[in-house]
Amino acid sequence: MNTKLKVSEISKIYPGCIANDKVSLEFGSGKIYALLGENGAGKSTLVKILSGVVKPDEGKVFLNDESIKLNSPLDAKKNNIGMVFQHFNLFETLSVFENLSIDSDKKNEDLRVLVNDILKKYNFKIDLDVPVLNLSAGQKQKVEIIRCLIRNPKVLIMDEPTSVLTEQETDDLFVSLKQFSKDGILIIYITHKLKEVLSLCDEVAVMRKGKVVSVSNTIDEKIESLANKMVGENLNTIKKKINNFKNSEEILKISNLNFKSDDPYETNLNNLNLSLKKGECLGIAGISGNGQNELFQILSGEIITEDTSIMFRNKEIGKLNPRERREYLMAFSPEDRISQAAVPELKIYENVALNNFKSSNFFEKGLVNEKKIKEHSKKILSNFSVNTDNVELKSQFLSGGNLQKLIIGRELITSPELLVCFNPTWGLDVGAINYIHETLIQINEQGKSSILISTDNDELLKLSDRICVIYKGKLSKIMSADTVTAEKLGILMGGGSID
Amino acid sequence: MSFDLNFIGILIGAIMASSVPLILAASGELITERSGVLNLGVEGMMIIGAISGFALMVVTDNLFFAVIGSMFSGLIISLIFGLLTQSLLTNHVATGLALTIFGIGMSAMIGKNFVGIPGKEFPLLFLSLKESIPFLGPIFFGHSIILYFAFGLPFLTNYFLKKTKTGLIIRAVGDSPTSASNQGINVTLVRYSCILYGGAMCGLAGAYLSLIYTPQWIENMTGGRGWIALALVVFATWSPIKVLIGALIFGGITILQLHMQAVGLRIPVQLLSALPYIMTIIVLVVISRDSRKIKLNTPTSLGQIFYKEK
Repeated sequence: MNTKLKVSEISKIYPGCIANDKVSLEFGSGKIYALLGENGAGKSTLVKILSGVVKPDEGKVFLNDESIKLNSPLDAKKNNIGMVFQHFNLFETLSVFENLSIDSDKKNEDLRVLVNDILKKYNFKIDLDVPVLNLSAGQKQKVEIIRCLIRNPKVLIMDEPTSVLTEQETDDLFVSLKQFSKDGILIIYITHKLKEVLSLCDEVAVMRKGKVVSVSNTIDEKIESLANKMVGENLNTIKKKINNFKNSEEILKISNLNFKSDDPYETNLNNLNLSLKKGECLGIAGISGNGQNELFQILSGEIITEDTSIMFRNKEIGKLNPRERREYLMAFSPEDRISQAAVPELKIYENVALNNFKSSNFFEKGLVNEKKIKEHSKKILSNFSVNTDNVELKSQFLSGGNLQKLIIGRELITSPELLVCFNPTWGLDVGAINYIHETLIQINEQGKSSILISTDNDELLKLSDRICVIYKGKLSKIMSADTVTAEKLGILMGGGSID
Repeated sequence: MSFDLNFIGILIGAIMASSVPLILAASGELITERSGVLNLGVEGMMIIGAISGFALMVVTDNLFFAVIGSMFSGLIISLIFGLLTQSLLTNHVATGLALTIFGIGMSAMIGKNFVGIPGKEFPLLFLSLKESIPFLGPIFFGHSIILYFAFGLPFLTNYFLKKTKTGLIIRAVGDSPTSASNQGINVTLVRYSCILYGGAMCGLAGAYLSLIYTPQWIENMTGGRGWIALALVVFATWSPIKVLIGALIFGGITILQLHMQAVGLRIPVQLLSALPYIMTIIVLVVISRDSRKIKLNTPTSLGQIFYKEK
């Protein structure tokens, strides 16, 4: 069962952006191919074209030397091309089995037999009759994979599959993928994580700005060589020096904090304890959905606690709303830039004004002091290198990186004592990530504290002084960052324990 | 007033009859909403069904044509909603409200010539059984075929949604249209079909009013029943069986409070008139308080506009 897949001269142009520029690649079964590139390099567009979700403007796809038309996802399925998307395409409120059967022409009884065979063969453990929303991210991904396997795929495309997985789950996934590859399935693995390319894949194609810039065997590559190809410039790596805060004054203390939610989608928090000193960065690792959202909301005042368990600069702040907390010099950068941190339809200066302090004097006698806000906004734009000086620009026209710089800038320009940020570099390109990281290190050096809630372990290890892991609403022991490794974090993130 | 068994049977029969339009309209809207479409035009589609059913009955003198015609007209007017929301991607809420206003105005215009014309007697089934069996007779027999259909409909709907592939696809589209589309499901087609089905059921609900329940045309004769049906769907947390229960409670208390008013209880009339609304909401909230089930039943994409990436 030999499969050859070839894409030839594929182009796709979106308004203001060439997503794919004459992309040509060849793949053959028995190997695992990496498609590597930064966010926005055009990987996702290419795989969307291969899975029939997006139609290319130009170019052809050949399967076993025959030109195939991929006008819809159905065409991809007919040609035995399976795809596991980065954002799961599952129906959360339907059961696992319903999710699988919606896609199948088989009778339910036959399908159940087939699915059970697949579960056994690849040693997957999933209850078929629970709603998908009860599953962990790793299990959801397995459901997606099973959905592809049901159709005997010749080609299996995985789009950034490990972004939601623990280290252990990632290892399991790699074992499965190697097994699929042995069974003759051609695997295309899309990622921006270099280590994964080297440990899993046989060949690697690097994309940058819509073009394929290199195709090579992974044996011939190193992390640095791939990184340079991917970014197109030599990266200067920064690493924070870890401080010892023995004599520094304590700024935040949380003791025995509990939170119980009525919402089945939310996570309860159990007996959280943490403390933070001046100038310190506390990293909180964990797989998303383990209580990070709830913790962030409790810190920011979106969830108000009756508890007296949160002390900030010797004041109980549990009952204060976000604005009152800002007046006590706390600042917050939420996870979702578009819906939580900024209003995309508003102009830059209007978004700046949303975050008003009593002391900012943005509003006088109920009227907006536009001039003052605009001056203030200009200062943020230039101090935090946002690539525009037009404060009238609607925020939705800023790229993710620039929007994040604006948000962090808006928070920091008032010199808060504590910045709480949640996945501050999620989905950003390397340049913007570096800038944000440097900024976060800088505030610690100025004696300001930060709490970094992140799902990116590299980022946590780079920036934190101390690190702990949140798992199912509980915090692990807080460890000094120089004693922590990615492996240790992985074990804790999966619910394991270390000594 | 005597409270003998037969009288209670007749009372229950009347309650069942009064809940039919709610069951029909709410069951139709439930399917529409399960596909993720919020059509607030129920009242408008019902009243269009009511006038077209009645007008067709007068013109053709054929009740069969009248009933089928009312469903067809409900379907046509919901097609307008479908075109606007699914093809032209207008906002569901605004379009639905416009549809109701349009339906009420349109029905009043058509209905001008039909005011005061007497209706035709609609055939009732098993009349002899109704007379001969005390208590159970008036409950189970002597109703129109539409009533029997209406009482079967929630169970059919439940079976359809839970056990059939088409039902599964509708729930999937309501849960996540993007995922459904990526799975090769034609989301727009599914949503159109559900909108049209909802329209047809609302048309039938209207026809029941103007042909059977109060066989005549009166302007605005739906009297807010469309809105009640909409509320039932939500308070029943999109469960067809709970819609049936809710409709019966609403119909039941409406009729009972009329009797209480007639008896002359010393309770303010306004309070009695408000009772059906209050009780229906309380009962439905109590029986649907399981927040887990609500999550699982609520169509996640309700009211969201879907457009396909090109």
